[in-house]
Amino acid sequence: MSTYKIPVGPLHVALEEPMYFKVEVEGETVTGLDIQAGHVHRGIEYLVAKRNIHQNIVLTERICSLCSNSHPFSYCMALERIGGIIVPERVEYLRVVADEIKRIASHLFNVAITAHLVGFDTLFMQVMETREIMQDTKETIFGNRMDLGANRIGGVRYDLDGEGKAYLAAQLARMKAPLDEFRDLYETNGSFLRRTKGVGVLPRADAIRLGLVGPVARASGVDYDVRRKAPYVVYDRLDFDVQTLADGDVWSRTMIRLREVKESVRIIEQCLRDIPEGPISIDAIPEIPAGEAIAKSEAPRGELIYYLRTDGSDKPARLKWRVPSYNNWKGLQVMMAGCKVADIALIVGSIDPCISCTER
Amino acid sequence: MSFFLPVLLRNLLKGPSTEAFPFGEAITPKKLRARISFDPDSCALCRVCARICPAGAIQFEKKPDGLEFNLWHNACVFCGLCALYCESEGLHSTNDWHLSHLQSEKYDLVERATVKFQKCTKCGKQKMPAPLPLMAKLYPGLPADEIERLRAMCPQCRKAETAPAEGEPS
Repeated sequence: MSTYKIPVGPLHVALEEPMYFKVEVEGETVTGLDIQAGHVHRGIEYLVAKRNIHQNIVLTERICSLCSNSHPFSYCMALERIGGIIVPERVEYLRVVADEIKRIASHLFNVAITAHLVGFDTLFMQVMETREIMQDTKETIFGNRMDLGANRIGGVRYDLDGEGKAYLAAQLARMKAPLDEFRDLYETNGSFLRRTKGVGVLPRADAIRLGLVGPVARASGVDYDVRRKAPYVVYDRLDFDVQTLADGDVWSRTMIRLREVKESVRIIEQCLRDIPEGPISIDAIPEIPAGEAIAKSEAPRGELIYYLRTDGSDKPARLKWRVPSYNNWKGLQVMMAGCKVADIALIVGSIDPCISCTER
Repeated sequence: MSFFLPVLLRNLLKGPSTEAFPFGEAITPKKLRARISFDPDSCALCRVCARICPAGAIQFEKKPDGLEFNLWHNACVFCGLCALYCESEGLHSTNDWHLSHLQSEKYDLVERATVKFQKCTKCGKQKMPAPLPLMAKLYPGLPADEIERLRAMCPQCRKAETAPAEGEPS
């Protein structure tokens, strides 16, 4: 059988984001993979050094749409660490609520896309319709379907009054029945299982060797979640389970996300119950002295690390971040070895890649 | 199959879950961040908005009698930072998202107004305006007519006016 190379991408591999794969195949079996990045590099690390610390909250929010809250959230935590700012307790709860709402929307999007990639478009639409509940919630509470604008230095920009809390609780309640139905369907539907079970397997040892994070690593049995290992804001006070599965295939990665959606619903409900009264921001616009700090958070795709260095001016001297997708790309080489050409898009989609994050 | 039968039935009864826009109303939440509105009477010309706008959509231009405020809606990213940091409440995020327009109208989609400098009623020097919402924050508890009198003065005269007299506890 002859060996040849086929180009996959840069457009429409799994999502409408550009990444170029040079796939070596023997017949219909993948034998090698080369990934070429750089199609959506916008130079944001340079741009943040040209804007002041407040403008950068908006700029970092627009690095990526699906994890658009994790970026400004981590950035604000880094700034607050340098400035020695202690945020009010109510703010910490409100930040968790915003982050978990984004996680639900992000995970459901990937779960839906997986259904679409196996050709199960009816299911895709049902999941997207359920995800729409969260989109409406974001629009109603925060004012935008993707960019929440929830964070500011030393606080948040939104509040939940009695009416807001009741609305959010009702929206979460509406999610529960469909989520259970989806879980049963993804666990038992024959055509879905045949396309995803045992496909794109990433063994635990490889996940650790390549430093994979997030749901991709947890689906391979790596019990690592920043919210548990290095709790920030109030995650140490909230009761939630870190989901892990052992198989490391496309199906496990989908199920991890579906289960994490349920955990996020639980987390938000606890926040609504426990949130104390108080201010939603510190009083003054803070001045940030010279210094450096690192902030970590668990973005929907995994561990997000922000490094910030300031020089006492209102512009960051250096802002650098490592996104979870950056690590996870490496996993594709293991997952795709020996897979069929028809599964390439499905496996790419299963790591929930965020290309605009990776390339910023 | 057992999952999709009720779904099918529900969809038949309920109709499409998408919004009928443009043939019907699109749901618009009250808090939606959309078009920014500007009230020149509540502008203190502090220009924090121009400094904070991440998109550079807000610009001030010098005019003989004041400063012209320009907000380019097509450059705006609807983050609402300007409204958040506007202490004098001159900028507001509205939920009006109807911004579609013809290509030929693209340079007309501007929020534009000239905020005029004023003359201090005491010393007669030219001064920046002191809008009511800002003054109400600065002098809480003062009667309305007293605030009106103070805000017609320049900061120096205002300070002199409000400083406690010698020997009087502040």
